[in-house]
Amino acid sequence: MLRNMIDRFVGRGEAAVTVPPMDGALRPNQALEQAAIAAEARAPDNLVNHRGDILFSTGRELRKLGADSVVHSFDRSITCLAAAPDGHLAVGLSGGEVVIVAPDGAVNSLPAAETSHATALAFHDDALIVCRGSTRHSVDQWKRDLMEAGTSAPGSGSVVLIPRAGPPRVLADGLRWPYGAWSHQGRIIVSESWSHRLLALDPAGGTRPQTVLTDLPGYPARLSAASDGGLWLAVFAPRSQLIEFVLREDGYRRRMLNEIDSDFWIAPTIANGRSFLEPIQGGALKQMGVLKPWAPSRSYGLAIKLAADFEPVMSFHSRADGSRHGTTSVLEQAGLLYVASKGGDVIVSLPAEEFVEP
Amino acid sequence: MSPILELRSITKEYRGVPAVKDVDFTLNSQEIHALVGENGAGKSTLTKIIAGAVTPTSGEMLLDGKPAPFKVPKDALVAGIAMVYQENSLVPALTVAQNIFLGQERFFNRMRGVNIAAQQFLQSLNFGVDPTASVGSLGAAQRQMVEIARAVRQKARIIIFDEPTASLTPEEKFHFFGLMRRLKQTGVSIIFISHAIEEAVTHADRITVLRDGAHVLTDTAANLDRNAIIRAMVGRTLSGEIYGVRGAARTLRKAGRKVLSVQNLSMGSMVRNTSFSVFAGQVTGMFGLIGSGRTETAKIISGVIKRDSFHGGEVKLDGRTVRYRVPQPAVRDGIVYVTEDRKLEGFFETMSIGSNVNVGYMATKGGVFSVVNMGQVRRLAKQWIDAIKIRAINGDAKVIELSGGNQQKVVIAKSLVQRPKLIIFDEPTRGVDVGAIVEIHQFINQLADEGLAVIVISSYLPEIMNISDRILVTRQGRVVEEFTARQATEERIMYAAVH
Repeated sequence: MLRNMIDRFVGRGEAAVTVPPMDGALRPNQALEQAAIAAEARAPDNLVNHRGDILFSTGRELRKLGADSVVHSFDRSITCLAAAPDGHLAVGLSGGEVVIVAPDGAVNSLPAAETSHATALAFHDDALIVCRGSTRHSVDQWKRDLMEAGTSAPGSGSVVLIPRAGPPRVLADGLRWPYGAWSHQGRIIVSESWSHRLLALDPAGGTRPQTVLTDLPGYPARLSAASDGGLWLAVFAPRSQLIEFVLREDGYRRRMLNEIDSDFWIAPTIANGRSFLEPIQGGALKQMGVLKPWAPSRSYGLAIKLAADFEPVMSFHSRADGSRHGTTSVLEQAGLLYVASKGGDVIVSLPAEEFVEP
Repeated sequence: MSPILELRSITKEYRGVPAVKDVDFTLNSQEIHALVGENGAGKSTLTKIIAGAVTPTSGEMLLDGKPAPFKVPKDALVAGIAMVYQENSLVPALTVAQNIFLGQERFFNRMRGVNIAAQQFLQSLNFGVDPTASVGSLGAAQRQMVEIARAVRQKARIIIFDEPTASLTPEEKFHFFGLMRRLKQTGVSIIFISHAIEEAVTHADRITVLRDGAHVLTDTAANLDRNAIIRAMVGRTLSGEIYGVRGAARTLRKAGRKVLSVQNLSMGSMVRNTSFSVFAGQVTGMFGLIGSGRTETAKIISGVIKRDSFHGGEVKLDGRTVRYRVPQPAVRDGIVYVTEDRKLEGFFETMSIGSNVNVGYMATKGGVFSVVNMGQVRRLAKQWIDAIKIRAINGDAKVIELSGGNQQKVVIAKSLVQRPKLIIFDEPTRGVDVGAIVEIHQFINQLADEGLAVIVISSYLPEIMNISDRILVTRQGRVVEEFTARQATEERIMYAAVH
């Protein structure tokens, strides 16, 4: 108690308003900005490989990349997707449950009690892994969930394993917005977005969750496999000292949440620069001959390649002066990396190898 | 031209081992004479003999053609010979003005008058140093300027500079060499020792090369080039080994796990909200101009100085937040800092090599009631003399008796005995000869190859570009740019450091 008060007074420990740097393998570049456009769609979100085709979600529709065709349409927005090797698709729907679309087109619903508020889905052997972001707020209310949680409040998210036969099992709960899952070397890797880390879960539930990567400089989203045995991680917004500070100021946040429209909160977002009312985006300074925004950007585009041991090895960026922000999903196929920019309304493709500045 | 100073067959032995042997040397009137050679070549000993600080074992010294057997430095000073030593001889508790006038005070001194006279004198030399500042608060470069000012103030006929430019910025070096030329025009003869061979070739009239205490050659600078001097110094060409292989031409190491994460670190006006990471198995170079906060950042990380008490940022070692108020816990956690000012902070000069290495060892093991084990001291001395090729008679040799390069190796051994996971080298080759530079660079590379996280802070661009896998550039207290060794060019790095 006393220590917390001192920490808060001098700004250290939990109260230290610090942000890990983007350097080393995370050194910024313009790769996503310079990448070719693979598709344009309104808020494209989750990318999956379905029997060799790339499917993506946009609003209520499930579309096929390159064919400009709607594969499936739902009555509510799609929040997440997963494709099983046998052709089954799992689709999370806003404000409701997860549905399974069979190869023949038949749709079956899974129990809402175990699958509502799904933010990410993945198949592990025959079982479906469901990340439930929060029980307090729906998926499209993610910003409010973060702002209410701040930096230290325990989360209400969970990861549920739903076997093909048998009762669902909760692999982990009390998580702060689990937003990505992937089966990797016999474990379930989950991105815990509000805590900026990756967790490894035991599908048998025998051991406690283990942190495998921590202190990410942004808010991690979906995971997918890399061709060399590693993983791809999408990061949809950056951390900044301003937002970290706001996340520690409970009274300020309460007033902001009550009095200001959510688009204009000092909070992470998937896109910015859409309104002059947005907080402090106008200023800029010229440094090393480059015009740089002095205001911390609230949105960003970042895809990180992780080695099999979860160390970052390379990254592709869309920086503060770019527009391909809100990268929520990444998929590697046939030597190309596809990145969904939810904030930029595009899916871009680029070679899945180290970016060399021209 | 008749020589103003002549040394004939000068020999100086320590415990029967010659530091210089049968050296002949002449200095002409109004001449700038560069003295170059590897560490341990005998340059400092020779100049100390001239300045009266060391008495030769045999040989003769003539000043204006007459024997000049100086016994103490004051004899040389009275005869018009002043020396600016490589090691600092200032009194840290006194102000700059007091140091400049030290030994020349009147019976009654008025501080205001002394300060004004010092101010005028420093301005005439183009040295931007505050005369009222305490010397203890000055950086290495500014202390060097005060040393030079003091020597010039003594109106000597012969001034000897021992490594005068080692800690000066390019602009300060420009002023210094301008000063040297002005002194020459006023009739002063100058001997300067330098490891920067380009400086000798560019600014000296004649160059003398010593090797292993013996005279190798003396010739006019116009007749010599860099390769010829290096060949004379070490008996082989080292151009390809030092600074020869830049980032684009060599294999760069892949980054390992993140060992250190510095996040929004602040300390007064010197370190301002700086952030960077350091990875295992790589050499992270840190380049910046003097005053850009590199050394202060390194010292905060290693617990030598403290960050701001309020919102001073965070340092994470292997993902764990650490905050050191003194260096010992940092050493125990595996962080060691090899200082830029080895003479002041690096070793105990009157202690032996073994005792110094043992002090480093005890920092990781010892408690308040530790007992020094002499067997262990001898074992450590032998182990590290062999490991990093310290050239000394044995482990009992006092560090003060070693050359600069070997002293630096003792500092490195004292740090490495602590088995660090992160080692920070601050100007590791400052005041070190070319032969030792190659060895130190090889050693740093070896440490990174073994998986250690290594930071090398240097003001010398070729060194940074040669040794680093990634390069961080600091300016005004923060890291402002990062380059991979492949992308880095001298122009890009300097642009980032200045703009």
